[in-house]
Amino acid sequence: MEAAVLTHEHGHAVAHAADHAHEHHEPSFIRKYLFSTDHKTIAKQFLTTSMFFLLVGGAFALFIRWQLAYPGEPIPVIGSWLPDSLVSNGAIQPGFYTQLVTMHATVMIFFVIIPMATGAFANFCIPLMIGTDDMAMPIVNMMSFWLVPIAGLTIMAGFFVEGGTAAAGWTNYPPLSASGMGHTLWVMGVFLVGFSSILGGMNYVTTVLNKRAKGMRMFDMPMTVWALFITAILQTLGTPVLAADAVLLFVDQVFHAGIFIPENLLTPSGGLFPNGANVGTGGGGQPVLWQHLFWFYSHPAVYIMILPVMGVVSDVLATFARKPIYGYKAMVFAIMAIAFLGFVVWGHHMFLSGMSPLLGTTFMLSTIVIAVPSSIKIFNWLGTVWRGDIHFTTPNLNALGFISTFVCGGLSGVFMAIGPIDVYIHDTYFIVAHIHYVLFGGALFGIFAGVYYWFPKMFGKMYNESMGKFHFVLTFITFNLCFFPMHMIGVGGHMRRIHDPYVYEFLKPFQPINQFITIFAILLGFSQLILIFNLLWSVKYGRPAPRNPWRANTLEWAAPAHPGHGNFDRDITVYRGPYEYASPESKRDYLPQWIRPAHVEQETVAKH
Amino acid sequence: MFDFSWNMLTYFPPGISTYSEAHDDLFALVYWISVGIFMLVQITLVTFIFKYRHRPGHKSYHYHGNNVVEFTWTLAPTILFAGLGLYSDEMWKVMKYSSRIPTPDVEIDVVGQAFNWNARYPGADGILGKRHARYRTATNLFGIDPTDARGKDDIVLTGEFNLPINKNVVVHLSSVDVLHSYFLPNFRIKQDAVPGSWIDVWFNGTKTGKYELACAELCGSGHYAMRAVLNMQSDADFAKWMDAKNAAKKIILDAEAANPKPVEAAAAPAPAAHGAGEHH
Repeated sequence: MEAAVLTHEHGHAVAHAADHAHEHHEPSFIRKYLFSTDHKTIAKQFLTTSMFFLLVGGAFALFIRWQLAYPGEPIPVIGSWLPDSLVSNGAIQPGFYTQLVTMHATVMIFFVIIPMATGAFANFCIPLMIGTDDMAMPIVNMMSFWLVPIAGLTIMAGFFVEGGTAAAGWTNYPPLSASGMGHTLWVMGVFLVGFSSILGGMNYVTTVLNKRAKGMRMFDMPMTVWALFITAILQTLGTPVLAADAVLLFVDQVFHAGIFIPENLLTPSGGLFPNGANVGTGGGGQPVLWQHLFWFYSHPAVYIMILPVMGVVSDVLATFARKPIYGYKAMVFAIMAIAFLGFVVWGHHMFLSGMSPLLGTTFMLSTIVIAVPSSIKIFNWLGTVWRGDIHFTTPNLNALGFISTFVCGGLSGVFMAIGPIDVYIHDTYFIVAHIHYVLFGGALFGIFAGVYYWFPKMFGKMYNESMGKFHFVLTFITFNLCFFPMHMIGVGGHMRRIHDPYVYEFLKPFQPINQFITIFAILLGFSQLILIFNLLWSVKYGRPAPRNPWRANTLEWAAPAHPGHGNFDRDITVYRGPYEYASPESKRDYLPQWIRPAHVEQETVAKH
Repeated sequence: MFDFSWNMLTYFPPGISTYSEAHDDLFALVYWISVGIFMLVQITLVTFIFKYRHRPGHKSYHYHGNNVVEFTWTLAPTILFAGLGLYSDEMWKVMKYSSRIPTPDVEIDVVGQAFNWNARYPGADGILGKRHARYRTATNLFGIDPTDARGKDDIVLTGEFNLPINKNVVVHLSSVDVLHSYFLPNFRIKQDAVPGSWIDVWFNGTKTGKYELACAELCGSGHYAMRAVLNMQSDADFAKWMDAKNAAKKIILDAEAANPKPVEAAAAPAPAAHGAGEHH
């Protein structure tokens, strides 16, 4: 029944795109907004779902921060609403705390950053920026989205099962994760959300390779498309390994196969761990195998989260500096280099796992070399704003904020890359600071830049510029005051994932810093409500957006202000690269990709 | 009130191992290089933002980049970072390579168990008896081989350990349940305790005093409280402490030898660990 509906919808999409027809027989609500195959609707679905999860994950973070600043004190307001299995007298219990750190990271990584950076941006930008009507496989695309809420519900269901939800950290290391219903649900959820990533990735690769507009060579693609294309390759190559790892752990949890469980292991209650090796199959499992497979995916996953926004930031910077991106090809090659190196550095998460120290040397050198393409990107962004004509719009402020914080996150990564230093700062707040500088200061500022930048094309309305700037300034300040001090307590040896740091004498002096961090974490969290309000308000009451509000060059701005199914209202041919700003060929300071050389003057003037 | 400092290096807990100073120096080197690059990039960025801000009539420079510049800023970080990596490798080798572990003056076994640290000392004979996972029960965490006479006098302690200063200590590290991580902040040492594997950690403490041993790998709800105290003593004090432990152990062993019955009772598997008996 449902399949028939979908096939019909697909046929409709193809026919619609093929003849560029514009007769509008309005599809039903369900097909337009729920089971849509239009890449723009799917992008909005990804965006709204991950915005929702952003609030959930952010709430978890604030619980964590409350506990670290004021351990044993009841959570204000909410504490009294929570059941006694999670809180005692309103204060967070140790078991609930480990669930919170696990679910905060799981939600933020698998349900916020990855779906936003790839799901929302790849879906919205790729077809529009390469000048085509839709994705190569619209139904696969729709499935890629619908796996996310299913996976999200699966993982969240953990809160309602016996023993609570997953509590072994987002890295879910066995043997701790090898028992309990919550961990089984976690593994199933990650498997499903992984498939969303795989389906999306193969779709993005196929679309970029096959559906580019007439005249568009690979090196005519904007940086956003390049970044998303290379990210999609990472998704298709890396995620199956995570899926395999999840299956192995599932087999351990449910059938006690003992793949990750060594011989004759005790459970915390002193009993024996259920394990194949204990019932006479001989030999024992190896917990470190999980880590190898997990990080073989999860290190490239770090780049799945950061590469797309590096592309977005490049495009936003070029547009608002009114200047070609500095070293376009160098930027593309740097992304390729980061993606390639991303697959050979996973061991730096495992310097302390007991793997051969000889491998440690290898991984240390391969890891530190990633700093090279990362530096190239930073230098080229600086080159882009150099002698530019910089407009401080909200997207550009976020893009500049991205560069500023990414430098810090990149440099703190160098500490972790160096084995003997990692020995000390591993599993401390130094790594917590690092990951937030990269994934919040990096990925999320880039995502904000992109959301503001394409908002006019997404909803046909302009967002509120003053509110946008206010949101950026508040976020940038509170972000740095929240996360920078974490480096310091990390150097002080403050471990991560500890419910009450102050059982340790050497951590007691850090409570004032933890309280300082918590105050700014709360402000940071509540600042995001401005973003949500701005987007919702502007969708309804925003000023109607012109076709090309930023006077940008890339193809999405050739589409109507609020493009319908099929995207473009005219044939698109590409005549030049995406960054011809301030070109001497044109009197205007931009020269879009789609303008025929013979019409340069008239068209640019006429279009505005 | 807490002393706040912008200099991260001031936050280290006091270092008291032979390589804590070298570690802190290496950290400081990376730190100052990072601070330099950080300031350089931020100042450049802010200068450009200010200098090239939009003004009426201002037009940007149409320029796509320069290969010589690209080559230079590729080569410079390559030399810097690869050099830093190669330079750090020596310290990594000292800490981790099994070929570089010095001859032990003191050798102990340590196992993590949710949520305690346990240590086994060699006892009066100075030799750790054989162990194997198949002998492990809730009462024999180290899996001490009951057939090995050298293991009889081994001393097992929980939560508080003593070690001598200025001696090469080698810890054979493992876990009986989930992953733990053996973290001695003052010694700048950390190593995961992996069930099913024995991993060697070495250090040489230079100052007496009590130092905290933390668990740095999430091991369950009690993870935060998996704390132990390491008491670093002078050679003489440590010998005195060890002698007292050995004497106490000898009284127990003598009592068992005089009255064999309790020995059988003690050797019987604890109720919680049934099933382990199959392997005996």
